Amino acid sequence: MSSRRGLLLLLAFVVTAPRAAVAKAPDAAGGPTPEILVSRGLMRERGLSVGQVVMLSADARGAGARPFRIAGIYEPTPDPSRFTAKRLEARMHLPDLLALTADPGEAGAVDAVGAINIALKDPADASAFARELGARAPAVSVVRAAAGDDAHFVIIERFHVAISVVTMIGSTAFLLALMVIRADERREIAGLLRLLGLRRRRILLQALLEGLCIAAAGAVFGVLFAAVTQGAVNAFFQWRYDTTLAFLRVTPAIAARCVALALPLGVTAGLLASWTLLRRPVLDLLRR
Amino acid sequence: MSAPVAIVEARGVSKVYPMPAGPVEALRDVSLTVAPGEYVAISGPSGCGKSTLLHLLGCVDTPTAGSLLFEGRPVLPMGEQERSRIRLRRIGFVFQRFYLLPMLTAWENVELVQSEAGMPAAERRARTRALLEYVGLGERAAHLPSQLSGGEMQRVAIARALANRPGLVLADEPTGELDDETGEQIGDLFDRVNADGTTLVIVTHNPALAARARRRLAMRSGRIAAPSVGAGS
Amino acid sequence: MSPLQFAWRSLSRQPARALLGLTGVAVVGALLFDMLMLSRGLIVSFRDLLESTGFDVRVTATEALPGMGPVVSEAAATVEALRRLPELAAVVPVRFGVAAVDARDKKTREVAIIGSETRRRGEWRLVQGADLAEDSAAGRPGMVVNRTFARDQGLGPGSIVRLASTLTPREFRVSGIVEFPFEAAGERMAGVTLNGFTRAFPSARRDEADLLLVASQPGVGAETAVSAIRRARPDLHAFSIDEVLERLRQAEFSYFRQVSFVLATIASFFALLLVTTLLTVSVNQRLGEVAALRALGFSRRRITFDLLAESALLVGGGGIVAVPLGLLLARVLDSILRQMPDLPSRLHFFVFEPRALAIHLAFLVLAALVAAAYPVILAARLPIAATLRKESIS
Repeated sequence: MSSRRGLLLLLAFVVTAPRAAVAKAPDAAGGPTPEILVSRGLMRERGLSVGQVVMLSADARGAGARPFRIAGIYEPTPDPSRFTAKRLEARMHLPDLLALTADPGEAGAVDAVGAINIALKDPADASAFARELGARAPAVSVVRAAAGDDAHFVIIERFHVAISVVTMIGSTAFLLALMVIRADERREIAGLLRLLGLRRRRILLQALLEGLCIAAAGAVFGVLFAAVTQGAVNAFFQWRYDTTLAFLRVTPAIAARCVALALPLGVTAGLLASWTLLRRPVLDLLRR
Repeated sequence: MSAPVAIVEARGVSKVYPMPAGPVEALRDVSLTVAPGEYVAISGPSGCGKSTLLHLLGCVDTPTAGSLLFEGRPVLPMGEQERSRIRLRRIGFVFQRFYLLPMLTAWENVELVQSEAGMPAAERRARTRALLEYVGLGERAAHLPSQLSGGEMQRVAIARALANRPGLVLADEPTGELDDETGEQIGDLFDRVNADGTTLVIVTHNPALAARARRRLAMRSGRIAAPSVGAGS
Repeated sequence: MSPLQFAWRSLSRQPARALLGLTGVAVVGALLFDMLMLSRGLIVSFRDLLESTGFDVRVTATEALPGMGPVVSEAAATVEALRRLPELAAVVPVRFGVAAVDARDKKTREVAIIGSETRRRGEWRLVQGADLAEDSAAGRPGMVVNRTFARDQGLGPGSIVRLASTLTPREFRVSGIVEFPFEAAGERMAGVTLNGFTRAFPSARRDEADLLLVASQPGVGAETAVSAIRRARPDLHAFSIDEVLERLRQAEFSYFRQVSFVLATIASFFALLLVTTLLTVSVNQRLGEVAALRALGFSRRRITFDLLAESALLVGGGGIVAVPLGLLLARVLDSILRQMPDLPSRLHFFVFEPRALAIHLAFLVLAALVAAAYPVILAARLPIAATLRKESIS
């Protein structure tokens, strides 16, 4: 949380850098100008370029601004939980950030950070490590990093699954309606076959095979259509949010799941419709 | 005293159907006049153009060449809307396959065309009752077509055809789906209809039915081969 | 028989088919209705939350959202200057911070702390005990806690809260239990005075504020208040609720708007396609009947109206059922989305608006027309004689 807050503060600094201060600043009389990297979004938003010197300040009014040279441009790692936000960011060396943000009246401020991120050799030691460090350094708060951000996507996934279930219920109703129509169109043929002596099972087997072919063709078409749509949806959202994130991905597992759902659904709908027809007396089937 | 205006008059009508394999001439230069009150039967082998001629006489279709007059008015210049109006109010159709609406009762099937023609409700009710009695189905008014026999369905169809007091009733193979005995019953009904003043033109394979007509026409290869006067004259 | 009566009889002759079609339309229609509610739900709900605080203008140092950017320095002087503006009824400085407390299970937990003045309007709502009073120089400063914090720590009025962040423990006395408008489910929150805030966060600079909450005078309006603030202090960033919402609509909340649009489009296309298919197949099965009716004198217009009525019954019937179904489904979907962490527990994604219902109904009308278009063309243009002939042969 703290490291994120620092990053967000950084974002705010750059966003609020007075426009006048973004202009080229005079070269420092002595000492090299410290370098920073700016995000692609910031570069575009403010019309910056590599080599340009900008003034950064931690104060909204620009007090205490310092010059920094843009050494390069970077693409921020897409953050799915913040994809709607404009990534107006910069990266600088920690001492430069501390020098920029420290309160001159506060002793030790240039040597104070908000948080220290630790990556353990063995993540399983995290809890024990946190306890031990907390005991040895009671002035610091030791918190195990939680995968809290994943919770957003678990929820979004549940939401999409719920939408899929609803869509499937609706489409099943339509599918059944179409299968009933199809069975009704074959009513006389079915009656004729029964009259000729074919058993119900034989006719149902035919309905099953036909249903299987139609369901398979439909499922394959559906997956192909989804694959095509995937490109369009991703293109739209990537353009809209200026991100490289992929919003829709038809993976082999998803395709297999769709086919695995569609096939039995289609076959069952066809069999059900045919069975409701074949249950009727033969003469009823032949009568107009 | 001037001669009564013919109900329908076809003058040199031809009908050509464009087909992928080449045009098909269903009717070739046919002329026919039907006077009010006539009972005409048209017979011929399959594909000779009988039904095509019937459709032209009934303003269901238009000829490729020639002219058509209905009650003295040229039909060709009329738009589809006006032809619809003529079919609704001046012509009654009886089909081989009955074409009763399966979700409507016998009563409702007969009443439907009257309602479409704008007849007031009370008049509709009275006429529907009378027509169903006329065709001998007064007690089957509330039955659906699926609950009627073939002959009964055709009688309902005849009642429907008479509903708006048409000047002309056209029947296309009215006994085609019926057995001989039932066909005879339908023939008797047509005799009554004609005797009551309605002009009747039927297309039929049934020699017994054709024999009832006062005028019989034989068609072959799109032309009227030989007119003759029938036993009904 | 009117076209509607005729359509009803046509549909009821095949009850299974009609019922299934109606069900399909109802389910897809419910989804569509929900997407309409989702498209503006967050904005409407968030507006309600913002307005519930009683402040219609917010002031920050920069464009960054409150608590996420540079602070307002010289806060006391700024507040006094703004309070002198005749357009403003109240100006309250607010500070945000996160502290750690030792929980009863010996683990360290975070608690969000809001510092504000004692004379407030709506930063929180008192549920139990007493609200904050001015802190005395000696003694523990006061604190109000939310229900979650109170429950987790077994707190009540009079309890002591010890913050674990620093070498010197910071203790506060709980005066009451409150409800914060923006508290997330499971989030621990506490409110203190500005004085108490500097005691909770000794490293925080005094005389700063993350946010100034402003209420305009009755009858003046937020826009006028914003303009007055901008004139008086062009260095500050003032924005009304409408401006906040517009920004959220364009950025943070836009994903759900986009998703609702995409899903609504797909659902609409799907529903139209299937209703059109149902009607077209139905017409194809009745071509002989349609030709016979035309031969009997039924005009094209009459046939068209009959089919439109059939479409209207199918789409309209399903669409009407879709409304209560959609409301029910919205509750389910809303309960799923509200499980997202860090969201205000009073925020809803699906909010019913008459506007959504109006759009839904308008869509139904359009859908009935569009779905019937192809079958109508099929039926109205069929060649009567050729169809009768074909039906006789078959």
